[in-house]
Amino acid sequence: MAANAVSRRDEDEVCPVCKSSRYLNPDMRFLINPECYHKMCESCVDRIFSSGPANCPVAGCRKTLRKNRFRTQTFEDINVEREVDIRRRVMQILNRREEEFDTKRNYDDFLEQREEIIANLVSRIDVSKTEAQLQKYASENMASIRANQTLEQEEATSFQARINLEQEQARIRRQAARQEYEIERREVQAGREDFLTRLASGTSTDAAAIAREGHKVLLKKSSARRSEEDRIRQKQAALRSEPTRVAGVSSGADTGLVKGLRKIKTPEPEKPYDPFMGYVPEKRDYYSLQESYPSQFLDNYRNNISVLAGGYDLREYYSRTLLEAFAGLSCFVDEEVSQRDAARVSAPVATEGAAIAAGQSGEGSA
Amino acid sequence: MIEDDIYRASSQYRLWSYTESSLQSLRATTNTVASERVRAALRRSREQQSATSSAAGTPQPGSDMDGKNKDEKEIECLTPEEELVLVRYYCEKTLELGETYRPPMPTMARATAIQYLRRFYITNSPMTYHPKSIMACALFVATKTENYYMSLRQFADGIPGETSPEDVIAPEFLLMQGLRFTFDIRHPFRGLEGGVMELQAIADGQGQPAPHLPHETAEDLQQGLLSIAPPPTPSKSMSDRIAVAHGKTRDLLKTAAQMTDAYFLYTPSQIWLSAFLVADRPLAEFLLDVKLGGPVTATIPTPETDENGLLNPLYEIRSKLHRVLTECSALLQSYTPLSSDPVQMKNLKRIAKKLYHCQNPEKVNLKRESAQAPVSQPDSGAVTSESESERLAKKRKLEQEQMARQGNDVFGPDLVQRTKP
Repeated sequence: MAANAVSRRDEDEVCPVCKSSRYLNPDMRFLINPECYHKMCESCVDRIFSSGPANCPVAGCRKTLRKNRFRTQTFEDINVEREVDIRRRVMQILNRREEEFDTKRNYDDFLEQREEIIANLVSRIDVSKTEAQLQKYASENMASIRANQTLEQEEATSFQARINLEQEQARIRRQAARQEYEIERREVQAGREDFLTRLASGTSTDAAAIAREGHKVLLKKSSARRSEEDRIRQKQAALRSEPTRVAGVSSGADTGLVKGLRKIKTPEPEKPYDPFMGYVPEKRDYYSLQESYPSQFLDNYRNNISVLAGGYDLREYYSRTLLEAFAGLSCFVDEEVSQRDAARVSAPVATEGAAIAAGQSGEGSA
Repeated sequence: MIEDDIYRASSQYRLWSYTESSLQSLRATTNTVASERVRAALRRSREQQSATSSAAGTPQPGSDMDGKNKDEKEIECLTPEEELVLVRYYCEKTLELGETYRPPMPTMARATAIQYLRRFYITNSPMTYHPKSIMACALFVATKTENYYMSLRQFADGIPGETSPEDVIAPEFLLMQGLRFTFDIRHPFRGLEGGVMELQAIADGQGQPAPHLPHETAEDLQQGLLSIAPPPTPSKSMSDRIAVAHGKTRDLLKTAAQMTDAYFLYTPSQIWLSAFLVADRPLAEFLLDVKLGGPVTATIPTPETDENGLLNPLYEIRSKLHRVLTECSALLQSYTPLSSDPVQMKNLKRIAKKLYHCQNPEKVNLKRESAQAPVSQPDSGAVTSESESERLAKKRKLEQEQMARQGNDVFGPDLVQRTKP
């Protein structure tokens, strides 16, 4: 009915270029060019644009059109057609993904900005400026646009694959269920026949026993089958729930047009392992160690072969004595210990611990 | 400061550093606990004695009760101060004991032994364990921890009087327990050597500036050292002066630092610097100025502020250190040897007499106690334990039989017991 309505209205449709109507030429197809969206019939396009690009034949439209860009119209309303085209083009360029943004808010801002650009282009506001922006963005973010496109494609294909898989699985399940039903039915029938033959051949006394036995066998079989089915079903469920996520690729520094993109975090180069955690073994705060110190007493040892033979180095002595000379110089015991004791009220304090030790070991063994 | 953090990791700082008040309260607690125990022990021993005497002689209940009450009143225990004097006396004795050996024991070993004694008697009372027995043991442990090897026999022979090797090591574990198994004592002696080495280097014009004050040169330091105030006793050259101060400080560290509570209240570097201050004040002040910068006078504080408007941390340390070192040197100077003072000796004799009466009778024979220590089973359980072991043996045998029976069955025993038809 709808097709009829369209065709009836098309009856009196007239090509604006050659004025031939569908009435005279029922096979007539109308084509449009996204350059200016002027409608014309196929024969006109062939006639005018076969020999290369030419101006649009519609009066007042001076756009240069090419034959290969002509296509059939998808939507009846030419404005909708145009908007869809624009939208597709802009979306292809501004194809940032949500995971590329710092926050949801930033992503929403981006979506709004994109809609604004589309609206501008559709309603012809600041067209040149917006176009320039888009072109600039496209040239600057070639790589990320390309990456996102491939991602989208992958997603689409994987989605398709998943749908196919699900359908296939559903089909298999259905088939299995049917088979199962068939088998069960056949078994029941066979069992009944067997039961009947045995009843017919046996004596009347063990009829009841045979009947009970036959029933039991049937039950056992069906329960075994049921557990088998359960197992298969679980396996399938596990298969279905396997993650098919595609890891997103982070990209794009903050560009002029799009704000709030997540910064690409290049992992920091791993620092060389420091077993002392920043502590420099030879660094000291009170003194700097010298190669030698004037001392009559020590000079005797410096060149004494019986001392040196064992591998003794006088510098060991220097570093130890100097460390002990200043170690703890600014540890103020009275302040620090009282602070420490105050901090460890719940835990046994040093003094309390000593008191406990005294109670248990020293005085306690009485 | 890194050096300070290194010191903070030591057991001396973590377990054996106290404030004056906490040290006092700890000693008071130890004293009260020990006094109660001594009283209880004496009462027990009297009861036992009276029980045996009454069993042997004619029972006189009325007079016995009176006597007991009188005895209880008589027990008068040592005060914490008296205990401290006593311990100090035995610390001095330790020094003398170390001197009797040929060759004399190194200062480090003796000082370590003294510190062991002091640490031990923070949580133990002389009324419980007599310092005389602990002293020898402390010195013997110190020879081991200070890597000055001496056989036990040799050591026991060196002690004047009749002392057997068993007597020496009897309280060893007890002592270690009292030390909380921390044997590391940070002495100020080696630190003093380091400080003197630095001063000598500066005097020879080889000094290096402290890392926090890198602008000074060796010449500046040498000039600074030469321009300090003259010493109390004039000396020929700067290195002579340093050597004299070194010797004086060393003597002070050997005696005064050991006999006072300095080790508990201050760090080793503070102790040797305060002793150095006592020996030669201008020299010690110079060393501090070189290390931490800026002379500090207690009366006129000169707060240096850096660009952040904060007090220079070095200055803060320096002024705090000034106070601490002054306190510590006062403590060191307050010491006078007991043996040189007749008044103190008299007091000591009185304390010793008092101790004779309030010694815990159950702790006198340490040898027996240490021999008993590893035996964990009480004697009273001997009879029951025999029957117990018999029972256990029976049970084991039964189990083995059962195992053997079940061993024949490939799949083990039945899960539920079979009911016999």
